[in-house]
Amino acid sequence: MVEEWAAIGAVLLLSLVTFATRIGGVWIMSCVPITPRIEAFLKYMAASVLIAIVVPATLSGSPRIWVAVAAAVVTMAASGSALGAMLIGTALAAVGRGLGF
Amino acid sequence: MNPPEIPRFTASGVWRGCVEIAPVAAFVIPFGIAFGVAASAKQVSAEVSLLMSALIYAGASQFAALDLWVAPLPLATLALTVLAVNARHILLGAVLAPWLLRVPRIRRLAALFFLSDANFAQAMAARERGEMDAGILLGSGLTMWICWMAGTSVGVAAGSLLGDLSRFGFDVVMVSYFAAIIVGQWKGRADLLPWVAAAAVALAGSYLLPPGWHIIAGALTGGIIGAWRHG
Repeated sequence: MVEEWAAIGAVLLLSLVTFATRIGGVWIMSCVPITPRIEAFLKYMAASVLIAIVVPATLSGSPRIWVAVAAAVVTMAASGSALGAMLIGTALAAVGRGLGF
Repeated sequence: MNPPEIPRFTASGVWRGCVEIAPVAAFVIPFGIAFGVAASAKQVSAEVSLLMSALIYAGASQFAALDLWVAPLPLATLALTVLAVNARHILLGAVLAPWLLRVPRIRRLAALFFLSDANFAQAMAARERGEMDAGILLGSGLTMWICWMAGTSVGVAAGSLLGDLSRFGFDVVMVSYFAAIIVGQWKGRADLLPWVAAAAVALAGSYLLPPGWHIIAGALTGGIIGAWRHG
């Protein structure tokens, strides 16, 4: 269990980090131009961080989690709706739990 | 030669931004609910969940932080992970810079605090139509923020009422959402190598590295290979 004061301190730290990313682009542009290489790095890092969270979390989970994530991927690829993908993944995980997986 | 354009930042611009983004902002509410529920599932208090949504105000990074939310809080890992997830803001800001560098600093910082993918996209579309008033960025950001907070509040309330959340499948809300975002970012074969490398390094790291560091290792691997191949 995380202590309340530690949690609030962490949230303040993460708020500062996030605000720095929001003002960082304008600040950097007022000094130097962003090269295509830096742009590619930021773009690929943004996708990769999510991949780095999802892949190990899914593979280390139970079969109902594999099915839920696979269904979310297929739904997104077919419909382009992240919300729909999230709802279908969640629904299948609930059904899986109900069936005892 | 074109007459020099004069960026403005007015109350009427702020109001236009507020109203124009409303149909898009409504779709943020379910994600806010999902975050509130997921935070409850992680035993995060209502106050801290709301503080996260109010001050961090960046959905994917808030979910990522929940993933690492265990005592004692791994502050360095949390900060680096949130930095990596939100690094794309740097690009959005860079695109907006020519516009925002010409409005007074306090207003610029206020508009940037509420910057998100959705209100960035809306502001750029408005700019294409000849919009000069940077106030729309603040206005649209405010509406998005209000919806995000409303959703979080409902989710936090629901989460504490519902009890064991895996019964409803809410334990997979985050991974399902992230998986969908990843699929949505797929632009073609060029993405394959950086993505597979990120996944492989993260997977290996989840066995070999201290908790959470596999995320940073995977993110850096994907970023570096992407920059090397496509920069």
